Amino acid sequence: MKFRKRLLSSLLIGVLMLILAACSSDSGGEEGKSDDVDAEKSSDQKITIFQSKVEISDQLEALAKEYEEETGVEVEVWGTTGDDYFQQLQIRLNSDQGPSIFSLQNVTEAERLKSYVHDLSDEDYVEHIAPGMALELDGKVVGIPYGVEGFGLVYNKDLVSPEDVADYESFVKTLEKFKAEDINGLGLAKDAYFLIGHIINHPFSLQEDFYSYIDQLTAGDVTMAETEAFQEFGKFMEAIKENTPSPLDVSYDEEIGDFAAGKSAMIHQGNWAYGMISDFDVDFEIGMLPLPLQGNDKLAVGVGSNWAINAEKDEAEVQAAVDFLNWLNTSETGHKYIVEEFGFVPALTNIEAGELDPLSQDVLDASNSGQTIAWSQSYFPAGIVPNDFTPAAQEFFLSKDMTGQEFIEKLDAAWKNAVK
Amino acid sequence: MKSSKNRLWYLLFVAPLVLIFTTVVIIPFVMGIYYAFFQWDGIAANPKVFVGFDNFQKLLTDTRFFKSAWLTTLFTILSVIAVNVVGLIFAMLVTTKLKTANAARTMIFMPYLIGGLILGYIWQFIFTDVFKRLGEMTGFASIFFNWLMDPQYALYALVFVFTWQMAGYVMIIYIAGIQGIPEDVIEAAKIDGANGWQRFRKITFPLLMPAFTISLFLTLSSAFKVYDVNLSLTGGGPANSTELFAMNIYNEIFGYGNYGIGQAKAIVFFLIVAAITLTQVYLTKKREVEM
Repeated sequence: MKFRKRLLSSLLIGVLMLILAACSSDSGGEEGKSDDVDAEKSSDQKITIFQSKVEISDQLEALAKEYEEETGVEVEVWGTTGDDYFQQLQIRLNSDQGPSIFSLQNVTEAERLKSYVHDLSDEDYVEHIAPGMALELDGKVVGIPYGVEGFGLVYNKDLVSPEDVADYESFVKTLEKFKAEDINGLGLAKDAYFLIGHIINHPFSLQEDFYSYIDQLTAGDVTMAETEAFQEFGKFMEAIKENTPSPLDVSYDEEIGDFAAGKSAMIHQGNWAYGMISDFDVDFEIGMLPLPLQGNDKLAVGVGSNWAINAEKDEAEVQAAVDFLNWLNTSETGHKYIVEEFGFVPALTNIEAGELDPLSQDVLDASNSGQTIAWSQSYFPAGIVPNDFTPAAQEFFLSKDMTGQEFIEKLDAAWKNAVK
Repeated sequence: MKSSKNRLWYLLFVAPLVLIFTTVVIIPFVMGIYYAFFQWDGIAANPKVFVGFDNFQKLLTDTRFFKSAWLTTLFTILSVIAVNVVGLIFAMLVTTKLKTANAARTMIFMPYLIGGLILGYIWQFIFTDVFKRLGEMTGFASIFFNWLMDPQYALYALVFVFTWQMAGYVMIIYIAGIQGIPEDVIEAAKIDGANGWQRFRKITFPLLMPAFTISLFLTLSSAFKVYDVNLSLTGGGPANSTELFAMNIYNEIFGYGNYGIGQAKAIVFFLIVAAITLTQVYLTKKREVEM
């Protein structure tokens, strides 16, 4: 009996030891690994990239493979689903499992991740960044733009000509005409940015100085409801609601698919959509037009996302990440990928644009001729589009009798909620 | 001698679980309480400011939180009823001498094995595409339309999918309960001339009380805590009309970056769920009858 008891207790201790050993060996292993890295050449270095653009995931992985072949530095690309990128990033950073390179959309996000962003000001290629396109925080460059992007009305040249959507009257007339022909005049999609996030840019960007306008809005000195551009924006949204099928049923894929099939005459999208449009056999020409809010004749052009480096990583990893971005932005292979594989309109002046798809060409033309309005969304309170604007827009599209003006008042309330 | 040996055996098997439970539940829970007293945006390197009970005070003026509390309550009431009624009916059916009983059991249990996320996405497709087409084809457009696009029906859709998922699971518990009822009691009742309904009311139902205790507890707590189906089916929309508790907390923390307030909400949420489920267990336990 006594023997068995001892057997049991030793068994018990054995199990506990095993558990403890399992726990400690884990962390021990990692320590050992990082020691090795320090000891050996940097060619054993590994960097991780977590970026927000779903569209370029495959291409980026191919690029990573090429980089690894060329330099021996292992590059791991993590996948994302897109919309909640910033939240996913935050979770990873908090659990100390952050990537070495991540994306920042705008200065509001950079502000929040202040302690994580590595100062890139000293890199050579920074001077090539197109004027006003670098992501700066406190005078330091913390993000390298992916490329410039633009959005507006992507239209089917067989169905629409530019004078059809030159101002409010012609815009409404065009929508009504298409409604009668059973064609969707203007397609939106239910995803936060494709429903409201991008289109709401226009009334903001048409303000004389949208930075100070946004500050005033936050301070409560002005409201959207009493601003002319927004009042007209409300009318535009009303016209869209009345004359097109509800966007809340439509996914991004369907929005693009309907357009490519000729079921929609226009969609509110950016040049990034071309990749998907070209997956279909499109037998008509396409182009991009400005949303004619207050007679606006300029495309909204800005930087969709920026590469940033995680400064909290150890020195060797930060250096490896810097080397990677350096390579991406200066080497021939890097340029080839940016332009041809990613299909970006380069934001660095030392990169030849090469042959662009028609939408990107329109964006580049607008950008070159200065026919652009800024992306005011870069200065919006963080997370306002999915958290506050989207529910308001859903409500607007769901209730038949909500007017554009009431919608703008909802947006005012949403803004207050986001900055409280 | 004997009892101490038993205790050691218990310890041997319990220790690993206690360890896991401590690391993934107890420690985060205590840390969560701690964070509820700070103003913090949830980013590790940013400053935490101690604010005492301010976060809890802010909850009192948070209308969106109250709205989600009401929606969660409504959702829970509807789901608990639906899940248990459907589960019990299934259990009664598959314990009869039907030839297909075994196959039916497996099939009814199946949805529980599919993760809530995937189930939500599958049903989202059914509601948006299949329902719409069914409505067009059959003419019953008032029943078959996209439920997810209507602020009121979206909640019912959620209840529907949740029931779809959980009913098979509580069915298993009820089957165990039904099989635990001795045949002779039923037989005696039959001889005394009790009909089916009377046998159910007076014998099966009271003797099933322990199964009710467990099933109600499980459905109550999981309906309150539901997140996965909520996320994948409606994402809280349209227009926040299906933003339940868990999602509201998630949005507060990761959407608005108010970690402290989010944690305060989570604690309030924990207290509510604990209070309700404990009351329920106490009440149903009292009604359990000894054989």
